[in-house]
Amino acid sequence: MMALRELTQGDKKVPVLHSNNGPALVGLVTIAAHLAQEAKRPELLGGSAEHKALVQQWLEYRLTKVDGCHKDDIKTILKDLNSYLEDKVYLAGNQFTLADTLMYYGIHHIIVDLAIQEKEKHMNVTRWFDHVQHYTGVRHHLPPVVVLRNRVYTSGHH
Amino acid sequence: MTKDAVQGAAEEADQAQSKKGLKKQQKEAEKAAKKAEKQAKLAADTQSTDEDDFAKDRYGVPQMVQSQQKLDRVLVRVQKLTPEKADQLIWVRARVHTSRAKGKQCFLVLRQQQFNVQALVAVGERASKQMVKFAANINKESIVDVEAMVRKVEQKIDSCTQQDVELHIERIFVISQAEPRLPLQLEDCVRPDGEGDEDGRATVNQDTRLDNRVIDLRTTTSQAIFRLQSGVCQLFRDTLTNKGFVEIQTPKIISAASEGGANVFTVSYFKTSAYLAQSPQLYKQMCICADFDKVFCVGPVFRAEDSNTHRHLTEFVGLDIELAFNYHYHEVIESITDTMVQIFKGLRDKFQTEIQTVGKQYPSEPFRFLEPTLRLEYTEGVAMLREAGVDMGDEEDLSTPNEKLLGRLVKEKYDTDFYVLDKYPLAVRPFYTMPDPNDKVCASLNAHTHTTHAHDTIVAFTELVIRLMFPPQKYSNSYDMFMRGEEILSGAQRIHDAQLLTERAIHHNIDLEKIKSYIDSFRYGAPPHGGGGIGLERVCMLYLGLHNVRQVSMFPRDPKRLTP
Repeated sequence: MMALRELTQGDKKVPVLHSNNGPALVGLVTIAAHLAQEAKRPELLGGSAEHKALVQQWLEYRLTKVDGCHKDDIKTILKDLNSYLEDKVYLAGNQFTLADTLMYYGIHHIIVDLAIQEKEKHMNVTRWFDHVQHYTGVRHHLPPVVVLRNRVYTSGHH
Repeated sequence: MTKDAVQGAAEEADQAQSKKGLKKQQKEAEKAAKKAEKQAKLAADTQSTDEDDFAKDRYGVPQMVQSQQKLDRVLVRVQKLTPEKADQLIWVRARVHTSRAKGKQCFLVLRQQQFNVQALVAVGERASKQMVKFAANINKESIVDVEAMVRKVEQKIDSCTQQDVELHIERIFVISQAEPRLPLQLEDCVRPDGEGDEDGRATVNQDTRLDNRVIDLRTTTSQAIFRLQSGVCQLFRDTLTNKGFVEIQTPKIISAASEGGANVFTVSYFKTSAYLAQSPQLYKQMCICADFDKVFCVGPVFRAEDSNTHRHLTEFVGLDIELAFNYHYHEVIESITDTMVQIFKGLRDKFQTEIQTVGKQYPSEPFRFLEPTLRLEYTEGVAMLREAGVDMGDEEDLSTPNEKLLGRLVKEKYDTDFYVLDKYPLAVRPFYTMPDPNDKVCASLNAHTHTTHAHDTIVAFTELVIRLMFPPQKYSNSYDMFMRGEEILSGAQRIHDAQLLTERAIHHNIDLEKIKSYIDSFRYGAPPHGGGGIGLERVCMLYLGLHNVRQVSMFPRDPKRLTP
C-alpha cells in the first residue's frame, strides 16, 4: 500500500510518499521517478546516461524555475523554452519522458492564460504543449488548450 | 576678549573684505575692457565688411511683407525642380530645413511641404564671404526667398526628394525669421521607432509633439497623413455624389442624446441646457422622411466618454450616410461597402507617394480588401472566436481584444482587412435599431409536432404561442464594419414605424417628450431606411496601419487635451 501526504517545509508543501516496503519518499521528482520504476516504465527516465542526465536537468528546471515563479519570470521561461524546443519534439530530444509530463503539468496554468498572440509568439512551446496534451493518458481532467493551426499574426504588426 | 581685541578683529575682517572687493573690482574692469574691445572689433569688422562687400544687395533681411509691391517674380515649387529646369535661373520660396557651413561654402536643405532640395552658397563671382556667413547663420525653419541656378548633379542626393539637381544660390533673403531655438527638431519627429537607438539619438514623444503641433505638422509624415485624410473626404464626397446622394448640414447643438445619455457633453443654452451631437443620426433620418432619399453629412461629432485609449477622441469628424432602400437593408450595406471600396481604391491609386512616405516612419502591410466586401454574421464571428478558444456568450458584445482577434482570424481565413459583421444582438444596439424578423421558433414547431403524447403537445404548443406573441428578439438588422480588426462604422436598419419606435424607446427608458419631434417624423409616411456613421480619423489610422488616432487628428481632443 502507498499513501501520499504533504510535508510542510518552510513555506512550501512537499509531497511525501509512504510505502509498505522501504522508507518514505520525499519530493515531487523523487516520487515521480519511483512511480515510473514501479510502473515498469524506466524508459520514461531516459535511456542512455546522457539522456538520463537531460531528463534530470529538465525535472530540476521544473522544480526550481517553473514552480512558484513570479509573474515577471514567465516571459523568460517561455522565451528560454521556446528557443530550446525549436529543433526538438520532446524536452529530452526525440523520446517522450517524465520531463515532458511534469513540465506539461507545471506550465499548464501559464499556457491556459496566454492570448493567441502570445501562443503564436512562443510557437515552439505551443507546438510541444499541444503534442503533449494529446499524448495518451497525459491530460486527464486538465482543460484542453485551444491551439490554432494557422498563424494569424504573421506581420508582427499591431 | 577685551573691547580692543574685538575692534581689532573687526578691522582685520574689514580689511580682508576690502581686499576681496578690490580683486573683484579689478576683475570686472578687465572683463568690461575685454567686452569693449570685442565690440569695437566687431564694429570694425562689420564696417569693413560693409565697405568691401560687393554682394551686399544680394542677401539680407528685407522689410516685412506688408503688401507694398506686386512683383512679377515667379516662385517655382520645389517639387518642380527637376533636370528639365537645369541651367535656369529661378526663384524659390522655402524653409531652411538644415544648413551646414564648410569653409567657403554653405550647404542648405530647402524644404517646401514634403519636398526638399539641396542648395549651395559658395564664395565666388556672385557671392561674397559675408554672404556665405549670412546664409550659414540663418536660423532653421526660417522662410527664405532664393534666386538660384538649377544645376544637374553627378551623384544623386539621397537625403533630398529632388535627387538630380541642386540650387546654386545667387540671392537669398529672409522673409520670416524663426527663433534660434526650436522646441523640437523635425528630424527627431520622423525617426522610425527603434532607429537611432544605438546612436543615442532622440525621438520625441507624442505629447511633446502634440504640444508643438504646428512644428510637428511640418514633418513629411504629418504632411502625407493629412493630405491622405483630405483625400478620404474627397473620395467619400465624390463617390456618394456620383451615386445620387445629397450632402446635408445638421445642427450640432441638440436637445436630446441620440445614442443613450451617458456619453454626451452638456452645454448651457440660455435658460436651459442642450447637448453636443454624438452623431447627426436623428437629423439624417428626418431628411429621409422629408424625401431626400439618399443623404450624407461630414462634420464634427462629440463623445463625452472618459476613455484614454489609442483610438478614442472626444471630438472627431463623422462621415455619415443614410439612405432609403426598397426591400432589404442589405441594399444599404452594399451601398456603404461599395463606397468604402471606392475610397480604398482611390487612395491606393492616387496617394501612393503619401502612403509610402508614412510607411517610411511607420511600416505596415498594404491594406487588403475584397470585392464584393466580405459579410459575416455575428453568430459566425462568435463561432470563429470560440473555435480559437475564446469563451463568450451568444448575445455578449465584442470586447476590444476579441474584436481585434476576430480581425486577425478573418484576415487569416479570407485575406481581407475590411469586412462587415452583420446581425448584432439587439440588446447591445441603440433604441432605433430594427429587430431581426427571423425567429428560430419555426424550427421548434417542427420538432414539437413529432411529439406523440397529447399532453406534451399541448404544453409545447402553449409555449410556442407565447413565444410567437412575444418573440425573443435576440438579433437585429445592424452591422459594424472593421478595418484591420478595429471598428470604423456602426450602422443599422432604423425603425421607420412610429409605433414600434415608441415601444423600443420605452424599453430603453428614454424620455418620450424629448424625442417627440423625432418620433413624429415617422407618422406621415416614412420609407424603410438604414445607414451608418464612419469615423474619419479611424479610417485614416487603420488604412495606414498607424497605432494612435491622435496622429491622424490635426488638433486632437481627448479627456486630457484641449490645446492647442
